[in-house]
Amino acid sequence: MIKITDLEKYYATEEVRTIALNKLSFQVQKGEFVAVMGPSGCGKSTLLNILGLLDDPDGGSFIFNGIEVAGFNERKRADLRKHNIGFVFQSFNLIDELTVFENVELPLIYTGVKPAERKARVDEVLEKMQIMHRRKHFPQQLSGGQQQRVAVARAVVNNPKLILADEPTGNLDSSNGNEVMDLLTELNEAGTTIIMVTHSEHDAKYSHRIIRMLDGQKVTENVLTEYKSNTLEV
Amino acid sequence: MLKNYIKIAWRNIKANRLFTVLNIVGLVVGLCVCIMLFSFVNTELSFDKMYTHSEDIYRVNMETSEEYNFETWAELPNAVGPAMVQDIPQVKKMTRLIKDDFGVTASLKIGDKNFTENGLYLADSTAFEMFDFNFIAGNAKNAFANPHAIVLSQSAKERFFGDKSALGEFITVNNRDTLQVSGVYTDLPKSSVIDCDMVYNIMDSWMGTNVYWSNASYETYVQLEPNAKVAQIETQATQLIDKYVHKEGKYFTQFNLQPLTKIHLYSADIREGYSTKLGSISTIKSLLFLSLLVLVIACINYMNLATANSRKRRKSIGVNKVLGASRKHMLSLFYVETGILVLISVVLAFALSFFILPVFKSFTGNALGYQDLLATPILIGLGLIWLVVTLFAGSYPAISMTNIAPLSLVNKSKKKHTASEFVRKGLVVFQFAASIVLIIAVTIIIQQMNFIKNKNLGYDPSGVVAVSVKSAENSQQVESLENALNRKAYVERIAAVQSLPGADESGRSVRRISTDNTGMPIASCRTEGNVIQTLKLNLLAGSELPQSLAKGDSIIYTLINEKILSYLNYKTPEDAVGKIINTELGSRAIITGVVANFNFNSLKEDSGGYMYYKSNVAPESIRTLLVRYTSQNLQQLVNDLEQTFNENLPNTAFDYTFVDKHVAQLYASEEKTARTATLFSVLAIFIACLGLFGLAAFMAEQRTKEIGVRKVLGASVAGVTRLLSKDFLKLVGIAFILASPFAYWIMSQWLQDFNYRTPIHWWVFGLAGLAAMVIAFVTISFQAIKAALAKPVKSLRTE
Repeated sequence: MIKITDLEKYYATEEVRTIALNKLSFQVQKGEFVAVMGPSGCGKSTLLNILGLLDDPDGGSFIFNGIEVAGFNERKRADLRKHNIGFVFQSFNLIDELTVFENVELPLIYTGVKPAERKARVDEVLEKMQIMHRRKHFPQQLSGGQQQRVAVARAVVNNPKLILADEPTGNLDSSNGNEVMDLLTELNEAGTTIIMVTHSEHDAKYSHRIIRMLDGQKVTENVLTEYKSNTLEV
Repeated sequence: MLKNYIKIAWRNIKANRLFTVLNIVGLVVGLCVCIMLFSFVNTELSFDKMYTHSEDIYRVNMETSEEYNFETWAELPNAVGPAMVQDIPQVKKMTRLIKDDFGVTASLKIGDKNFTENGLYLADSTAFEMFDFNFIAGNAKNAFANPHAIVLSQSAKERFFGDKSALGEFITVNNRDTLQVSGVYTDLPKSSVIDCDMVYNIMDSWMGTNVYWSNASYETYVQLEPNAKVAQIETQATQLIDKYVHKEGKYFTQFNLQPLTKIHLYSADIREGYSTKLGSISTIKSLLFLSLLVLVIACINYMNLATANSRKRRKSIGVNKVLGASRKHMLSLFYVETGILVLISVVLAFALSFFILPVFKSFTGNALGYQDLLATPILIGLGLIWLVVTLFAGSYPAISMTNIAPLSLVNKSKKKHTASEFVRKGLVVFQFAASIVLIIAVTIIIQQMNFIKNKNLGYDPSGVVAVSVKSAENSQQVESLENALNRKAYVERIAAVQSLPGADESGRSVRRISTDNTGMPIASCRTEGNVIQTLKLNLLAGSELPQSLAKGDSIIYTLINEKILSYLNYKTPEDAVGKIINTELGSRAIITGVVANFNFNSLKEDSGGYMYYKSNVAPESIRTLLVRYTSQNLQQLVNDLEQTFNENLPNTAFDYTFVDKHVAQLYASEEKTARTATLFSVLAIFIACLGLFGLAAFMAEQRTKEIGVRKVLGASVAGVTRLLSKDFLKLVGIAFILASPFAYWIMSQWLQDFNYRTPIHWWVFGLAGLAAMVIAFVTISFQAIKAALAKPVKSLRTE
């Protein structure tokens, strides 16, 4: 599903050029659950931004679903993004002025889903995340765990092929954290590809494979569970 | 989708209270000003459009020759109208309009009561058809069927006769003509230059029957055939001059047709004319400019506050974009939000307009009614304002905020948005520059007004009251009144004159030698003497006019001013005394005395030649007693004057004017401009401060952490306040530097209108800059001190 080859990204200020990604290459198969680990500043977040089509690389190739997307402009990336990728953030990033229902509904609005269908789909996913009873609340009225469940609901409501999670349990206590990890595992088992950036060895153990990074490069790769994709699609 | 936008926008509006309140207050004030002024402008522009034949009615104006400085006059000889109807087929009708006694207030006697009246006209009966007179008693056709008939407006009728019928009643005008009421018409439209309160038949007077091409005192209106060629008729009318006027009598060279609907606003350069309802297109333009300026400042507030607020909104914009919102989606969202806020403001401003209308009226002197606010163009205009303000005020925030990249959400490092900060600072500079220009302008306008008020006019108008005696039944009455007043303790001096300075003098000309073709136009005023002492004129040589003249003395004694003296090429005033002076008054006029120039007209104009004369054979009559008094209690003075007047002129209405008030009246329009400009400046500064207040609040919030760190490291409250204020004060400083030259230029232009003007002092600029600085500092320091006083732990925790 994802194949990156010699991916490069620099951040330049007036005086120094920092290399965020240094000829990074790896593949992720459809249905796989991959954890990316490494110390702060190793390039994890930069990688996630590029994989999430929020940023473009300075060099190398990025093939998503068989298409080279490295040279896409913002409009094309946005289009690909809204139909294929769901995001889960450490700080949830729910919109404070919108209710739970409206937050989850947002991606459907932007992909042009009709109101009746939107309602059905939002209800379904809220039900699944067990926060249906909180649908009219605003984010500030929820606990951290509940907020992250809403964020996950929002990430999956469009049935994305790929979920990118940036330290999804970073702001949660351990029991809430476990709940979220269980949710992600369930989604993965149902067929969604997940790439998760984390500092937590505990969370990483939920994945099939851990990629460890340092200074913009891959240092090791541990396979925890051999994942056999039923397709050979790259 | 739209429902969704409205929902989100509404919640945003509710969530940011400070932002919303500041914005709405700013917009409401700005919009309210606009609504007021648009209503005012709308009524001004609608003048005289209500008549059935408005499109075909023109006033005939004439161009004078060099002798009268090529001025354009609205008053013509009474022969012009009849000649045009007779000789030019496309001229369908004409009416001449002239105020009784050339515009001097009339004294009316009705039963045993006396009234004064300013709107008494003589006209041809065609006026009724041309100006759609709507008779509620009598009718247009027969109104002037009988000789000595007069028709009244409804309000005049009510004033004189109350609820009783007026038809058939008698009115004595100026103790001269007795007229019988033959009709009552509904009051003429408020927005019409035709302001007749009462009309009698010009053909009952020598003014209508004695047709001549010399004296020009008659406003003449013509109604043309529909689609007539105006230029062609002007040419034909001008040809009448050669046909009917002798070579020596041609002091006018051309006739022009001025559309009726243009008279109200476009008559600033036209002299004479009787209407009291003249406006000025330049006033309209400057008011429009000022109101737009205030509105722009309010819009800038919105832009500033909205973009400052965008830091708060960054997260939600980022999330939306990550979730697939396009630029179009976000633009729509911001425009909907702006649209809602502006809509609320428009509605509030419109409602508020009704409350502050009386204040606006009394403050600026612009007459506006409630119904003017409900005029269709205003209601359409409101919608248009809503749209334009939404698009304009919403543009910059919408564009700058939708440019926020989705990445800014996940990027931990906060990129500084230097471009938007630069624009925001530019906008603050603009607001303050505009405010400073207004402060400077207002200060200079007020200085100029004071300069005029305090300028030595060459005579002393204060302490003099002018009492009209023009309707006295005979000269004995005037004499007995004068004697009675002379016995009063409060009366210092009395002069009997034709006119108070600058009101109803006669236009004459002085020639160097009697055979000169042209001379110098002057104002001449008949007097019975004592003018020097009564008006405190400055006598340079010679003496006051003689106290009494021997019977049979046919000499005309004159007092001239320096203007005439220098025209006549005398080296010193003394040289002129005793010499003969050539005027239309004949060859037996001599110069008795010379007085210093005095400003009998507005100080906008140079004071011209002026001549007082006394003669046994004076062609003009005595119309006014100028009474110099010592009394401090003016009410008592007026009461006593009235009583004495009524004892001596029992059949004449008591009419008086304080001369200093008459002088002030010359500057009424400037006074109005000054007050309006002051109002606008205060509002503009207020709105700019609202914006600054909001910006300072956001700035303080944004720098909370910095403030916390500084305080932990030992910064004082004063130090933090200084830190936060400094940036803004710098902007005000830049605004000052930009504003000063512009203000200097524009005020120099304005002062050009005055012949006598105050110098522009440098300290006015310093003062304006300082005022803006202080106002800005007070506004900011409230926020700055609040931020500085907060506990540092609290501020550090926010990150």
